[in-house]
Order: sequence, then structure tokens, then C-alpha cells
Amino acid sequence: MAKDGEKSGWKEYIWNPRTREFLGRTASSWGLILLFYLVFYIFLAGLFTLTMYVMLQTLDDHKPTWQDRLSTPGMVIRPKTDETYEIVYNVENTESWDMYAQALDKFLAPYNNSVQAEKNNECVPDQYFLQEDSGDVKNNPKRSCQFNRTILDLCSGINDRYYGYQDGKPCIIIKLNRVIGMLPSKDGQAPFVTCGAKKEDSDKIGELLYFPPNGTFNLMYYPYYGKKAQVNYSQPLVAVKFLNITANQDVNIECRINANNIPIGSDRDKFSGRVSFKLRINTIN
Amino acid sequence: MNLAICLLLQDDHEITIEELETRYNTSVTKGLTSTFASQVLERDGPNELKPPKGTPEYVKFARQLAGGLQCLMWVAAVICFILPVFMVTSAFSLQLYLAITLISVVVVTGCFGYYQEFKSTNIIASFKNLVPQQAIVIRDGQKNQINAHQLVVGDLVEIKGGDRVPADIRIISGQACKVDNSSLTGESEPQSKTPECTHENPLETKNIAFFSTTCLEGVATGVIINTGDRTIIGRIASLASGVGNEKTPIAIEIEHFVDIIAGLAIFFGFTFFVVAMFIGYAFLEAMIFFMAIVVAYVPEGLLATVTVCLSLTAKRLARKNCVVKNLEAVETLGSTSVICSDKTGTLTQNRMTVAHLWFDNHVHAADTTEDQSGQSFDQSSETWRSLARVASLCNRATFRPDQEGVPIPKRLVVGDASETALLKFTELTVGNIMDYRNRFKKVVEVPFNSTNKFQLSIHELEDPLDLRYLLVMKGAPERILERCSTILIKGQELPLDEQWSEAFQTAYMDLGGLGERVLGFCHIYLNEKEFPRGYAFDPDEMNFTTSGLCFAGLISMIDPPRATVPDAVMKCRTAGIRVVMVTGDHPITARAIAANVGIISEGSETVEDIAQRKRIPVEQVNKRDARACVISGGQLKDMSSEELDDALRNHPEMVFARTSPQQKLIIVESCQRLGSIVAVTGDGVNDSPALKKADIGVAMGIAGSDAAKNAADMILLDDNFASIVTGVEQGRLIFDNLKKSIAYTLTKNIPELTPYLIYITVSVPLPLGCITILFIELATDIFPSVSLAYEKAESDIMHLKPRNPRQHRLVNEALAVYSYFQIGAIQSFAGFTDYFTAMAQEGWYPLLCVGLRSQWENVHLQDVQDSYGQEWTFSQRLYQEYTCYTVFFVSIEICQISDVLIRKTRRLSVFQQGFFRSVKTHPKHASLGIMYLNSQSYSITIYRVNSVSVSFQWWFVPVPYGILIFVYDEIRKLGVRRYPGSWWDQELYY
Repeated sequence: MAKDGEKSGWKEYIWNPRTREFLGRTASSWGLILLFYLVFYIFLAGLFTLTMYVMLQTLDDHKPTWQDRLSTPGMVIRPKTDETYEIVYNVENTESWDMYAQALDKFLAPYNNSVQAEKNNECVPDQYFLQEDSGDVKNNPKRSCQFNRTILDLCSGINDRYYGYQDGKPCIIIKLNRVIGMLPSKDGQAPFVTCGAKKEDSDKIGELLYFPPNGTFNLMYYPYYGKKAQVNYSQPLVAVKFLNITANQDVNIECRINANNIPIGSDRDKFSGRVSFKLRINTIN
Repeated sequence: MNLAICLLLQDDHEITIEELETRYNTSVTKGLTSTFASQVLERDGPNELKPPKGTPEYVKFARQLAGGLQCLMWVAAVICFILPVFMVTSAFSLQLYLAITLISVVVVTGCFGYYQEFKSTNIIASFKNLVPQQAIVIRDGQKNQINAHQLVVGDLVEIKGGDRVPADIRIISGQACKVDNSSLTGESEPQSKTPECTHENPLETKNIAFFSTTCLEGVATGVIINTGDRTIIGRIASLASGVGNEKTPIAIEIEHFVDIIAGLAIFFGFTFFVVAMFIGYAFLEAMIFFMAIVVAYVPEGLLATVTVCLSLTAKRLARKNCVVKNLEAVETLGSTSVICSDKTGTLTQNRMTVAHLWFDNHVHAADTTEDQSGQSFDQSSETWRSLARVASLCNRATFRPDQEGVPIPKRLVVGDASETALLKFTELTVGNIMDYRNRFKKVVEVPFNSTNKFQLSIHELEDPLDLRYLLVMKGAPERILERCSTILIKGQELPLDEQWSEAFQTAYMDLGGLGERVLGFCHIYLNEKEFPRGYAFDPDEMNFTTSGLCFAGLISMIDPPRATVPDAVMKCRTAGIRVVMVTGDHPITARAIAANVGIISEGSETVEDIAQRKRIPVEQVNKRDARACVISGGQLKDMSSEELDDALRNHPEMVFARTSPQQKLIIVESCQRLGSIVAVTGDGVNDSPALKKADIGVAMGIAGSDAAKNAADMILLDDNFASIVTGVEQGRLIFDNLKKSIAYTLTKNIPELTPYLIYITVSVPLPLGCITILFIELATDIFPSVSLAYEKAESDIMHLKPRNPRQHRLVNEALAVYSYFQIGAIQSFAGFTDYFTAMAQEGWYPLLCVGLRSQWENVHLQDVQDSYGQEWTFSQRLYQEYTCYTVFFVSIEICQISDVLIRKTRRLSVFQQGFFRSVKTHPKHASLGIMYLNSQSYSITIYRVNSVSVSFQWWFVPVPYGILIFVYDEIRKLGVRRYPGSWWDQELYY
């Protein structure tokens, strides 16, 4: 009994032929309420758009309002495999390292001397390349300094097409994330990168070679003025070549930036101001 | 009724003693043999009330953990636990955190509910206390004292004054045995118990004494006819446990509402699960979305809010002498439409008081107020002095010693109710009765007995020179009049002729018609010569003059109504609540009191009144003409339930008199059949079934038995009917306020839900995290929503009809729609405005955000470019995401400040209601509360809830939306007030 009543109650609720009500409302009632909500939401959407517009107007095109999240810039290595920061390959197996070489080729292509010469200026090294706006007059577009691939020397891939991977002396390229207006320095000199093995691996890392020498990021590449003002900005790179790293073993390496005015990043972020990765070169013998 | 049938089948009280002896294999002189007794004990079990088999405690607890919402949260928690196993994710601890939070929410609310249930279901526990410890039993012709639970059917037991009756007993012999049946029937008048069978109904007959009643005076021997659960009280106890605990309306409301919410949560979750799968998310990701939507949509804090609101009101009520045992009952009280009230003690003061006197052919009204603040009568007449002397001397009641400081009406007295009333009355009018009695030395007295129906005593006179004796007598007026030949009028003894006799009859009828107990008083100075000093008066032979006396006057007594009751009944009337009196008293008394307190209003007539007025037979009267109706228990027994329903429907003013123990239950059921929400007051054990059956049972704190208190939902500490009305008012207020509170609580579910919807569909970085949602639900929003419970009423709620629980629901469509799709929508926009602002100002423009999700959440991408070309590591992005959570959280809170302000009223403008009035009275109140809590929560969140401190300007972004909410709601209220009944009112008033 009760169940039947309930069933017909439901049916009636969905469509009541007597009062011509669908879900408890007549057509005009639905029309009215939907119209109300249409107006209501159009108004809200309008208000939202307006506030968004006003907010966007207040933004500076060239510098974000806040940069507090980026006080310590991140560091990244190349070549980079899909998932993890591990470079593992077999010297004898060309296929296992060829992809690294190709990735580096691709990554370094914009740094070819010809491209750089075409797009960028030669700058005075060892001093910041400041291009401030004078008052309201914007000094745009801003020029960028050349970072020629040849600076990387043995790791440039020009003389050694395979970046040393084929003979167990691989090159790793390190870059510092771009942050607008950042002026890093180490005692007034250029900041530099140092790499080292993690504790237990310190005897396995062997000798390292930095390019440019000492692993510096020259001051002339700073500050960065943002992608809108400084379209052709070339991020400075540092290459590290592992000359005699112990083969057939995992070597955990950490590289960090040495600069006075870059705060040491939080423990939670393993990629701010430093970068860790694993290197393993397998040989048959 | 089962019980009634059981009782009718039993004829132990009707059969002869010989038959009884053979039936139970016993002897009325020697009792049972010990061996047979032990056999019977084996067969029947001990003489004690068994607690009914209840649901095991763990099942009850488990049930609390398995409600609709709880199940949802369990599922969500399990998903949280399982997911990290399948996913290599850095968010492992986060998921674990969430799972633990969800489980603790379920467990804590479950414990709360279990505790509530535990408190309200231990009714039977109290019956144990009723079992007497020891009983005197005669077995093998020997008198023994044994444990009462060892008694068996057929045992011969002795009871004496002060004992508790150990089982149901057929009285074999008794001397002046009186039993207080109040724990069983509620009648406070002691019942005399004699061996004769006086009534076919075992409950009415005088030769059965019931288990758990108390023997007040005298002694009696009897044969046990029922033990343990088979006793009358045992059956009532099992009846009480058989009566299902009706769910309170608010429990039904909340259940109904929770079901809808749970259903919607699953619906939303599932829809977006499908959408996510469709868009191309992995199964596990889609599961996370499902869970997150459930968490976002379910109002976790709601149950806590409701409970806290109710307990606050319960506290407030406790201060007004109503102790609420079952929290939800508070609200039920508000929807009460019928109150079935006891008379004695609830409507009346529960003490006999002299109400009227008749002497000098005039009716004089005495002062019946509790504090003796009323008018007194003219005491100058000589007749009054004589009447007062008779009343003072012919009285065996005495004050207990050491009560000098106590006001006379409150003093404890040894003696029966009428004598107590007379003693107190004379003490108040004459003064120092004990001393007065000493001056008139008592020579002899004949106590009251049912054959004579009078009491007399003979005293020496105060004046030592006057050697006459004074005989004073009181008793049933007609009996007294028979013995009188003269009447005292203004101090003159006049012959008692026809005219005076008629005057006496009129006065007697008048006073009796008021429902008062009338006593006649007379006296005579005995002839000095016939009865000289030292005459041996013999009380048994009555060797002295007992006729030709001089009639002094009549005194009538009543249990007067409490001073506050008429007002309270009036209040009930304006509030659309019907007050029905259900009493064990005589119909005339019941009617008189009902008329006195306004249950039967002035000018209302019963069918009998109309018949008398029109001088037509009762049958010819149209029943619908009679507003009032007095139905006695006897009539009620012959009525079918349809007839009773009819009577309740047709007569708005009902009085039930002489009702037997179970009829109260029948009346309650009838009222409920008519769709009323019934509140019932009661004090006796016999009331417990009715109390349980009622939507709200109200027990008396002073007069109530433990069983009644246990069965009840509410206890009146002062036994005062007026307190119920206070309860009703509070109940109605809390209903209104709960509505506001729930509306407030629901609103934020939309801004909690929309971030996920946008996150899934548009793939922006997640604007609001699960833990933050729980934090809003369970921490910051609890206080503001509770503060709404302190809101004062918007209009005079006691002038409205009780709400119809089927039509006026706690959560209706308008409330949900308005909260969700209007205020909730505005809040969502506020949240997103603030979110996009925070993102844009950090370098992520809104358009870049769209579709950013996969890059943003990739743990291995450490150089994702923002709109300015800057590169972000994963941690930096995560930190930014937490900033967004906090920003969204702040937006919701800012809007909720506005929300709590608008929820203060549903119809009036906030300005009319007074913005800060309640802030003053409750410093922890809403708006300030949120502010404070925000700053508090803020510091907590920084460390614990993955939120981070945000720049101050982001606090101001949502403010325009907050103002919009306030202004919009004021417009809504204006429309609702201006155009009642319009489309606007119908759609937007909740």
C-alpha cells in the first residue's frame, strides 16, 4: 500500500498531468525561476569579469606583483630523463646514451654561436647588464647578452658530438631557473656552481671539469627582465664533465649554487639553489 | 490493550480463600512448605523484574557509526588509505592525514550520539530499585524474614506500615491497612486494603495490594498471587519497553535531510567521476576526485552544530527548571500541539487547602495561595469562633517538631490530607493550635471510620470553673446534619428547621459542585450533671450524647491550582496548543480545577450542561455545540478508538477524569492518530508507557517516580505546568534558530565544492584542499553557526500556531536553494576572484592557469614557466597552491562573516533586529567570533593545514562580495516583508 502510494507520489512529482507540473513546477513557474537565475548569474559573472578586469589592469606587464615564492631560484640539469633525475647508461651500448646526446643537442641548439650573434649583443663581462627604464619611458625591448655554445668547450658538443658519454666521461649541463630581477653574486664576483658526491659516494666521483671555468654564471647575464621585455634572453649555463667517475656503481651527486644573496632553500625543496641526481655508467669490464 | 486482557483473565481476587488455597497449594495459616516453595521458585524464577533484552551495547555503538553520512566518510577515508598504496606520490602523508581526520570526525560524532542514546534508554534500570530487600513470610507455619526475590506464588506474607509490598498480594486479613498506590496509579490518596472483593477489576478491588506500592499504616496478611515480571508493575514495565521510542520530529528531519545530502554527494561525486574518466583522467585520479567531492559536499560540522545548539538550549531550559534528557526533545517541545497534563501537583499545588467555609448562612472564601498573599474572610463572627474551635480540637494531625522557622503552609504534618489542611488552616487563623489543644484537655476520642463517617472527641473546657465537657464532631456533612437539632447563626443557637436545612443543602451542593471535599462540624456542651468530671467515657460503647448537637458550619477543601498555571494555560491557547487534563480524580473536582485554570474556558459547556440548560435529554444535544467535554475512565473504557478520536476532534476542551493506569496511553495514542505532537506529563510508574509513547514525555522532578523520570524526555524540577510553556517557547525559538544555523552551515558547501568542479573540468591548479575544507567545517565555522542559536525571536513566536511537522520542515527547498545557488554562488565567485588574483599577482595569469594542471602537478618538472617567463620548481608551485588554499579559505570566511550577519534574521532587516544587541549579551558571538577565530586558525593553519600566511591585500579582495551578500539579502528581506505572498516571497523566503 504505502509503497504504491510512494511510487505514484514520485511519478506525480516528476510529471503531474493534472496540474501540468514537472518536478513540482509548472512551465511558467520554471520559466520564471530560470529567468531569475539567468539574470542572477549573468550579474554575478559580470561582476566577476569586472573584478578580474580591474585586477588585471593593476598588474605590471614586466614584473609580477609578488616574487616571495621565488627567493631561492630552482636549479635544473640537462639531459633530463622523463621521470627521474637519473642518468644511467652503458658505454658499450650506443642506444643507451645516444638519447642523452640528442637531448643535449636539442637543448643547446639555441646557443649556437650563429644564433646568438644574430639575436643578442656582446656585453661587458663581469658586470650586471642593467637596462633600467628612465621614468615612464620604457626601455623596451631589452637586449640580451650572447651565451655562445663554445663557452662550454668540451661540453659544447661541437668537437665531441657525444658529450663524452661514449667514453664514460659524460657532461651534465646545469641551469639556474629564471627569476625576474634577480642579481646573484658571490662576494661581488660571479656566482658559481660546485658539484660533489654525497657522503658515501665521495671517493667514487673522481675529477670534475667545469665550463665555463670555475662553473660561473657570468654577471652580465643578470638581471632578467621577463619574457615580454627580453624576448631573446639566453639563460647562462654551466657544464660539468666527470672525468673518471667510478663505473658500474651508483654515484649520487649534488650541485649547488654558491652566491651570497641567494638564501639557502628550504629542506623540503630539493631543487632550490641546488640539484641532486644519480649517475651510473655501466661498462662490461 | 494486552494488559487489560491479562487482568481480566485473572480472578484471584474474586475466588474464595479456599479456592485460592487449592489453586496455589497453600494454607492461609501455615503458608507453603519450604520444599514446595523452592520447587515453585525453580519453576517461576526469582521475584524480581528482569531487564528486557536490549540491543547489545556494541551494536548500538556500531549503529552510530553507520549512518548515511558516516558511511560516506568511511568510504572516503578508505579511499584515502588505499590510494597511496597504488600511487607513487609525494602527497602520501596528506592523504593519510585526511583519512585520519575523516575517521576521527566519524568516531567523535558517533561517540556523542551513543552517549545520548545511552542516557535515554536506561529506563528499566530504575525498576531494580523498587524491589524491596526483605519480606516477612510464613512457611511451614513459621515466620521468617527472607529476601524478597525468593518469594514465590502462594507464599503467605505479612506487611505492615512502612513496608513496600513485595509482590502482588491477595489480602487475607488486614487491620486498618492503607496502601499508597501513587507509584502505580498516580493517585496520591491512600487506598485502604481489606479482605473483601469490592470490584471485578483487579486494579480497583480492595483485596489486592500491588508490588512496589507502599503500605502506609496498619498490618495485613496475604497470599502472593503474582511475582516478578508477572506482577502488574512488571507488566507495565514490559509494556513500557514494548512501546517503541518514537523518533522525535527533529530526528526525522535531520535524518531526512542527511539522506538527501548523502544522496546528492554521491550523485555529484559519481557524476564528476564519470566526467573525469571521460575527460581522460586515470581511474585512481577520478577516485580522488570522487572522494574530494564527497568531503567538500558533506557538511561535516552540521551534526556537531545541531547538537551544540540543542544542548545550549537545554542548558538555558535547565536554568528555568526544565531538565532535558533527550536533546532533540527540545525542538519537539516547540512543535507540540497537545499537552496532556496531570492535575495533581502539575496544575495544582498538591496539598489540600481549605478553600471555603460556610457559616452564618454565607459562603466565605479562604486564602488558597501558596504564599498566603490572598484576601482573608471576616473572622469577627461568634459562629466562626465556635467553628474554629471544633476544627482545631477535632483533629488528630500534629506538626512534626522543630519547625518553628518554616512557613506554616510548608510545615510537615503527621496526619491525613484533610486533617493536615484543617490543622494548617487553624494554625494560620487561630494560631498556636498545639497550645490551644492543651488548654482543652482531650478526654476521649472516636476516630473516623467508614461506617460512622464521623470523628468526635470530648474535651474539658479551658475555664477551670466550668466543669462541663465539650463534645466536638466532624464528618460527612449529611451525617453530621442528621445528628444536629440546632444551628449556630451569628453566635445564636437557632432550631434547625426546614429553612436552615435547605440552606445547608444548597451550600453543600454548591461547594461540592466546585469539586471540593466538604466536611461538616458540630459541637455540644455535655450536661454537667449527666456527665460529671471523671465520667468514664467509652469510645466503643459511645455512652454519651451523640445527637441533638449544634451545627457550626461547613469547611470545604481542595487542592488549589498553582498561581502561575492559569497564565500558562492562556499562553498555550494563544500559541495554538491544546491542554488536555488527564487525572485520576473525581470528574467534578477535575472539572472544577479545569475551569479554574482555564482548560475549560468561561462560557464553555459540556453536553450535560447544555442538556440541563435546555432541559432536554443528553442524547438530543448536538455534540458539536459543546466545546468542553469531561470523560471519565468508566466511559472511556466503553469507547472505541474511533469514538475517542471523534470526541477529541469535536471538543476542543477535554478533561479526562478517573482514568485508570493505561488509559493515559490510549488517550495519547488517540491524539497522535489525529496528527498532533503530544506532550505528556506524568509522575507515577504507571505513566511510563504514556511518557514513552508521547512525542515528548515530561516527568515531575519532585513527585515523579524514577521510572517516570527515566521514561521521560524532560523533567520539570518544580513540577510546574508553567515550566512546560517556557519549554515550548524555547523549542520554537530553537527551531527558528536551527534553521538559520543550518542555512549558514550549508552555504559554504558550494564554495567548497566549486573549486573541485573547476579543477576537474578546466584543469586549473587546485584552489582549495580537502584538509582546509575540513578545517572550515569543523573549526572556524562551528562557533558562528552555534552563535545563531542565541538569536532572539523575530516575532512573537507564542502567537503562532504550532508548526505542522509535515509541512514546515527544518530544511525546505527554499532554504537549500537560496543557500546553495545564491549565497553559495556569490561566495564561490568571491573565492575564485581571490584565487585568480593571488595567482596573477604571483605571476600566473588566469588564462595560463586554465589547462595548467598536468604541468603544475608534475613532481618532476622543476622549471615550469609562468606568465612572466620565470621558472618554478615543484615545491615552489606547491607552496603557491597552498597560498591559493589559504586565499580561498580567507574568501569563504570573509563571506561567511557576511553570511552570519544576514542569517540573524529571515524576514526582518538586520537593522530592525539590532546588529549588536546579541553581541553584547554573548561576547563570543558570531561576527567578532569569526574574526577572532580567523586570526587564531590562521596561525594554526600555517603549520598544520598546508596553508600559508598570505599578504594582507588578499583579505580585501572578497570584501565586495561580502558586501554584496549583505545588500542582496537585505533586498530579499525587504521584498519578503513588502510583498507577502508574492512570487518573491514564495521563492526566496525560507
